Amino acid sequence: MAYYSSMTFLWGTGIMKLLFCIVLLLMLPAISTAAGEAAVVGHIQTLQGSVWIERGALRLGGEAGSEVRQGDILRTGKPGAVGLVLLDNTTVSLGSGSELVVRDYAFQPREGKFTLVMQMLKGSFSYVSGLIGKLAPDAIRLQLPEATIAVRGTKLLVEIGD
Amino acid sequence: MRASYCLGLLLTVLLGACGGRQSIVLVPDPDGRVGRAEVITAGGKRLLDKSGDMTQVRSRILQPSAVSTAQAGYLAERFGEALAIEPPAPEKFVLYFETGTTVLKPPSHEVVNQIVAASQRRKAISIAISGHTDTAGSVQLNDDLARQRADFVHQLLTLRGAEFKRISVSSHGKGNPAVPTADGVAEPRNRRAEITVY
Repeated sequence: MAYYSSMTFLWGTGIMKLLFCIVLLLMLPAISTAAGEAAVVGHIQTLQGSVWIERGALRLGGEAGSEVRQGDILRTGKPGAVGLVLLDNTTVSLGSGSELVVRDYAFQPREGKFTLVMQMLKGSFSYVSGLIGKLAPDAIRLQLPEATIAVRGTKLLVEIGD
Repeated sequence: MRASYCLGLLLTVLLGACGGRQSIVLVPDPDGRVGRAEVITAGGKRLLDKSGDMTQVRSRILQPSAVSTAQAGYLAERFGEALAIEPPAPEKFVLYFETGTTVLKPPSHEVVNQIVAASQRRKAISIAISGHTDTAGSVQLNDDLARQRADFVHQLLTLRGAEFKRISVSSHGKGNPAVPTADGVAEPRNRRAEITVY
């Protein structure tokens, strides 16, 4: 009880606020490094119109060769379209007004580790399975707003209405 | 009367809270093969396993709609943009190595020229190199050797003027063999690097 009241007192004097800010500042590099370390999962191969990548607070214009990392939101405007190639040669292309996130991805043939979890949030998509589809077909999940798709080695078209 | 009214209200609320309709269509892959896809909600599932099979989801609590066949006109209208921007199929090459080394087998020298030419012709966006070994020797030795083979190809392609915006290099060790064998088998076709030009 005494502890809380002295904390309240210190906060009131501004000393705690200062300490809190210093701690936050010290943590910032760690936070941004952690965000910067998300693994590359693929690259933009083809695009048209407006395409961008949202990575945390960053908003990056997409271009041919742009790397896409796990957790990035890949968006297309109207008009806009983009073709993404993942490391295992899975390809996903997006029509205009679309949003995609590669939520979880592992392609480590040496360790036999394979995962592909993609969120199709809105818009239209063409999905063509790659090596993960051949080596570990049960490792693939496409998540839609109201459904999940388990895909085994094929091509799928997905549309999410407005 | 009252019960059905409540049920109707409940359904309206539940459906109204949901997003737009989601349509899923199975089509043949670029090699002409048709795989399968299972569409799952809390209300049930549907299996798509024939070319053109389509189902729709209106709510997470309802089973996806009965499987129907998608019409070509519908596909062109709804997926024209996404299909038009599909990345072209990459070109793939394989280089073979002498046992236990990063020395190319003589016929593979010509393939190196083909890789460089393809990268320039396509104005390649990306080149992916994976190194592989056969199953003779220890795991550590094979991991290292596969890595050295991939790194060697990376240097060689750079030196020869291959064109690319990005390059990725990986070691598969004895994993993912071209020809599956028992452990400890010397197999020339597995001593390789695979190069994909996008």
